[in-house]
Amino acid sequence: MKDRSLTTLAVVVSALLILAIVVVAVVRAFHPSPQLQNASFSPTIGTAQFGGTAPEFRIPTTAGLFDLDQQRRPVLLEVFASWCPHCQRETTVMNRLYQDFKSRVAFIAVPGSATAMDGASPESEADLFNFMQRFRVAYPVAVFDPQLTVANEYIQGGFPTIAIIGSDKKVVYLNSGEIPYATLAEALKKAR
Amino acid sequence: MRWLSFLVRVALGGLLLVTGALKVAHPEALAAAIAGFRLLPQAAIVPLAVALPYVELLLGLYLVLGLFTRIAGSLVCIQFAMYAAAVASAVLRGIPANCGCFGPNDRATADWPHVVIDLILAGIAALVVRVGPGALALDRRLSR
Repeated sequence: MKDRSLTTLAVVVSALLILAIVVVAVVRAFHPSPQLQNASFSPTIGTAQFGGTAPEFRIPTTAGLFDLDQQRRPVLLEVFASWCPHCQRETTVMNRLYQDFKSRVAFIAVPGSATAMDGASPESEADLFNFMQRFRVAYPVAVFDPQLTVANEYIQGGFPTIAIIGSDKKVVYLNSGEIPYATLAEALKKAR
Repeated sequence: MRWLSFLVRVALGGLLLVTGALKVAHPEALAAAIAGFRLLPQAAIVPLAVALPYVELLLGLYLVLGLFTRIAGSLVCIQFAMYAAAVASAVLRGIPANCGCFGPNDRATADWPHVVIDLILAGIAALVVRVGPGALALDRRLSR
């Protein structure tokens, strides 16, 4: 094949590949999956800050009323969304932490999204119970917070957000994303 | 120099192939990472999250093959410079954005070392543009 033909072939193939990428991106943009649609929302940043005083809250959970002000031990708070794959995977870490630290740490998970596990319907108490059953959640979960009041105070740009609050009500750990067991266990060991 | 240029080009292309491959099946994770930077309107996030891994794969492939090296290198240079700017803006605004550089299992938070790495990679891409494709490049065949 002549070099000029090779150049033409390379240009044509490149143009087709670029066109294919543009078409795929445009088609997916107009018909995004619910997961993709949810993931593209810019997440809220709550008022809670590392080292600052934890925003107070009282909320009913599967283990009874949780009042932060009444807690005399460290608290691990997770803000999650039932549709979020990172939160679904993090349940394994959370369950393990709960088993290992429940004697000296209070656990609570609060819903942080108005969208349910199917990524389309509104969040509901039934959906949260479904989430707990499906992922064998052992730790207390707040059911239900339609205004996302607690989540909006603590969320740090993504799901899940995990905060550890010391017994003096200072935020001693605050991060978002899938956080490994070792990192959280280390933070919990230091929390007083 | 020809072989040094070859090694740099293939290493940079290989890196883009890896990062693109790790992200291509997880547009939702990339969309969440992009949204976390709070720089773009929501309408732009989904198409970008879908297209970006393919763009990285394509540019990586061109660099590895040494095809249209200067054009691919220029685009890679711009790409890494934009990554650096995005990460720097997140750090300056105190936003705990996830980098998302290596797919859904990359838990690194955007920070100054990421800015430096992105700028170094942009510099390497600029070097490839300046020096040319080096040895074993399809460009040499096309330009005969």
